[in-house]
Amino acid sequence: MENSTQESNLRSEICVTYDSPYPIYAMAVTNAAASPHLRRIAVGSFIEEFNNRVDILSFDHDALSLKPTPSLSFDHPYPPTKLMFHPTPSASTSTATSAGNLLASSGDCLRLWELRDTSIEPISVFNNSKTSEFCAPLTSFDWNEVEPRRIGTSSIDTTCTIWDIEKGVVETQLIAHDKEVYDIAWGEAGVFASVSADGSVRIFDLRDKEHSTIIYESPQPDTPLLRLAWNKQDLRYMATILMDSNKIVILDIRSPTMPVAELERHQASVNAIAWAPQSCRHICSAGDDGQALLWELPTVAGPNGIDPISMYTAGAEINQLQWSAAQSDWISIAFANKLQLLKV
Amino acid sequence: MAMEDQSQEEVPENLKKQLALAVRSIQWSYAIFWSISSKQPGVLKWGDGYYNGDIKTRKTVQAEELNADQLGLQRSEQLRELYASLSAGETSPQAKRPSAALSPEDLTDTEWYYLVCMSFVFNVGQGLPGRTLAKNQTIWLCNAHRADTKVFSRSLLAKSASIQTIVCFPHLGGVVELGVTELVFEDHKLIQNIKTSFLEVPYPNVSKIPDPIPDNARNNNGLVYPQVNMPETSLNQLVEYPEVNIYSPNNSSNDFGAKQPNEELNMVEDIDGEACQMQSWQFMDDEISNCVNNSTNSSDCISQTCDNPEDIVPISNGKKVTDNGMHQAQESNQQKLNSSDLRGDDIHYQSVLSNLLKTSQQLILGPYFSNSNKESSFISWRKDKLWSSQIPQTGTPQRLLKKVLIEVARMHERCQHESGKYDGKRDGLPKPEIDEIDRNHVLSERKRREKINERFLILGSLVPSGGKVDKVSILDRTIERLRELEKRIEELESHRDVGMLESRTRSKPYDAIERTSDNYGTNKHGNSKKSLTNKRKACDMEEPGTDNGCSLLRDSSTDNVTVSVVDKDVLIEMRSPWRESLLLEVMEAISKLHLDSQTVRSSNTDGILSLTIKAQFKGSKTASTGSITQVLQKVIRRC
Repeated sequence: MENSTQESNLRSEICVTYDSPYPIYAMAVTNAAASPHLRRIAVGSFIEEFNNRVDILSFDHDALSLKPTPSLSFDHPYPPTKLMFHPTPSASTSTATSAGNLLASSGDCLRLWELRDTSIEPISVFNNSKTSEFCAPLTSFDWNEVEPRRIGTSSIDTTCTIWDIEKGVVETQLIAHDKEVYDIAWGEAGVFASVSADGSVRIFDLRDKEHSTIIYESPQPDTPLLRLAWNKQDLRYMATILMDSNKIVILDIRSPTMPVAELERHQASVNAIAWAPQSCRHICSAGDDGQALLWELPTVAGPNGIDPISMYTAGAEINQLQWSAAQSDWISIAFANKLQLLKV
Repeated sequence: MAMEDQSQEEVPENLKKQLALAVRSIQWSYAIFWSISSKQPGVLKWGDGYYNGDIKTRKTVQAEELNADQLGLQRSEQLRELYASLSAGETSPQAKRPSAALSPEDLTDTEWYYLVCMSFVFNVGQGLPGRTLAKNQTIWLCNAHRADTKVFSRSLLAKSASIQTIVCFPHLGGVVELGVTELVFEDHKLIQNIKTSFLEVPYPNVSKIPDPIPDNARNNNGLVYPQVNMPETSLNQLVEYPEVNIYSPNNSSNDFGAKQPNEELNMVEDIDGEACQMQSWQFMDDEISNCVNNSTNSSDCISQTCDNPEDIVPISNGKKVTDNGMHQAQESNQQKLNSSDLRGDDIHYQSVLSNLLKTSQQLILGPYFSNSNKESSFISWRKDKLWSSQIPQTGTPQRLLKKVLIEVARMHERCQHESGKYDGKRDGLPKPEIDEIDRNHVLSERKRREKINERFLILGSLVPSGGKVDKVSILDRTIERLRELEKRIEELESHRDVGMLESRTRSKPYDAIERTSDNYGTNKHGNSKKSLTNKRKACDMEEPGTDNGCSLLRDSSTDNVTVSVVDKDVLIEMRSPWRESLLLEVMEAISKLHLDSQTVRSSNTDGILSLTIKAQFKGSKTASTGSITQVLQKVIRRC
């Protein structure tokens, strides 16, 4: 362990670390084009208690430092399961969002927060429950880049809810799966996909809500699929990871049920995946073996499978991975209490 | 025809048109004339050129209808203009780049190649044009894109532009270069035709000479030989034909194909000696390789190099896939940088390119994933070095991820359940009185739930199932069963004791026992259970003396049964001497009358049982007050 981390630490000048006082999980990079040299990263804590926090860090490209902004920090009930910034903040038209940068968080329900210069204000809470004030807890959500007023959430009550956040209403709620839905990802303006504990990847089109397409089912029935990533550069491809598996399954939506590739070079289970925002053939994955691997998908795979092109070894299981289009040459990972930015 | 004015370049203006004609006749991609520079003797530089290859954008709105060659000329002009503006930007970076009709991103790779060629200079003997001039021989280069840079300095450029064949031949003290994106094998005839047809002294074979000029005297067989003895004159005359597309047979796929026949017709009409003309066209036809139909597909306006997502652009060179000529040029540039063997040409090329690139728009190059990039946090992955997992795999895999997906949801739910006990408005956040939930608590909670579920299962098996197996139904049936059983016990006991009780007398009065019973729960259960739902308090009634009770029973003055029926509601009031199990019998009688008792109030004072029962008819059967009274009196009198 020492050797590899030393080797990685030798390049410390190109890997920026932030030590958090508590374990962290959720992470998001701002897309605001405000100042390219000062990027903001939101970090959510993972404390198994009621009181959790979300901190906003500033990443200084020149100084290569990550610093928290104490004034920009807020409480969150229980750990946020996902954080995401508005995909196109400059293009937002609604008056509420024109002022600053929007951050969305999921947990018990979907919440919107506005990042102002010196404070963060909660804007709205999206709760679809009719009977009480509580909605079914959310496992994940995705902000539609093409239609930024749409956010899709996935929940343990087997449904996916599509919100129109400008009007503050539910556009639609679909019973997506037979079991809990663990992740959701938008493809186009009205098309999204979700993965579930029932082991299937399904694509939904909002124009035809009655039908969904199963494009993959886990080989052992009922092996939950935990995460999903849709390649925004080439919408044919998606990646997903299974529970307790070191495989990353690459799917082509044009050929359902048969994965295009299975990337199997992690030495422990995979925790997170992210497609490269600037290339259609690259994907990064991170897992319990403490490694972040960069893969390039060839057109023809060799007989022994696909090898990654490069790797990074952290000191602990890597739980989170984000590769933002706003800073496409940096990959952010989270492990233990640390957030690290790795230069690609 | 008067000779055209000489342009400020050292080549005759009409040369451009000659080149145009030449290259279009054979449908090659470009023609360049390298001329000896006046400023630097012994150096070949760009003289003129004509671009006939792929274009990416077509300025569709044309003020006047231009035909292909006019467009082609215009395009070549625009390319030259662009080059001029780019290089102007290079020399004076502060000055705003003069706007050209075209901008770099409008160009295809082949156009880029053409444009970059404008920057090249060759010493005599150096490079393809240089050697051509030195040897005074035609050089035909196949697979130019794969040629060694020593042989052909622009081979990398050619590669990006997919130029596969280049031919150079000396002409007029300079060098004419023709290039095409296809592989054309050496064909001297082709060169000969070009030379004779457009540029030089023609062969005596008259059929090779297109002679569109109307005012040339011609003999019947169409020989123009006498007129074209003088190369200069012939060149001029050659050029002086109306600006119509004369390549009609060739450009069948051209947009202007439709126009061609007409124009040709016009041409033919205009000119005497049409037989000759037709003949010459036909000859031209034969000369043309039919397969050369590539780039002039202007109707499609498809650039050969337009971005196709199917293409594999090796990212290991770190390109942004969507960019066209620039990035590939950059690639070449980079590769050149890395190559140790830098020739003078290369340096020149690099500098030109870098200047051009600086002045052009910002490129977003993808990251360099190659491991030689020292700036990356990543190291190259090695298969042979099997990294044993640095982190000991204890506990559950994907621990945090699973927690996020499963445990956090449970935390919320638990919190919601607990908060549900509290009334009042909630702002969405649960109250912070909830205790700390740690892992152990979770586990013990789970165990407790499992135990409870187990017991429910057992209970469910004990009570006769009514179909539903959910917890609530199980409990209901259990309650019902218990009551049934209790009642039966009471019955049995009372019947057993009746005999004994008869002999005893009631000794003491006892306090009034007032009992009320409510209808159990909601109406979810079957009506048959209603009669059993009366609560039975622990009876602390003492055993009364029955003698009194019996005698009292016979005393009609103490009998009193009042029944009133209002719709489905029945009110029964009765007084009678108390005896053991009287109440039970009354209730049984009532149920036999298909009455559901809603409330029962009974009091026992001085041995008299006063009963007030409110009941409802269940179902549609009703009984009259008289019948009810009769039944009850029967019950009372029973001993």
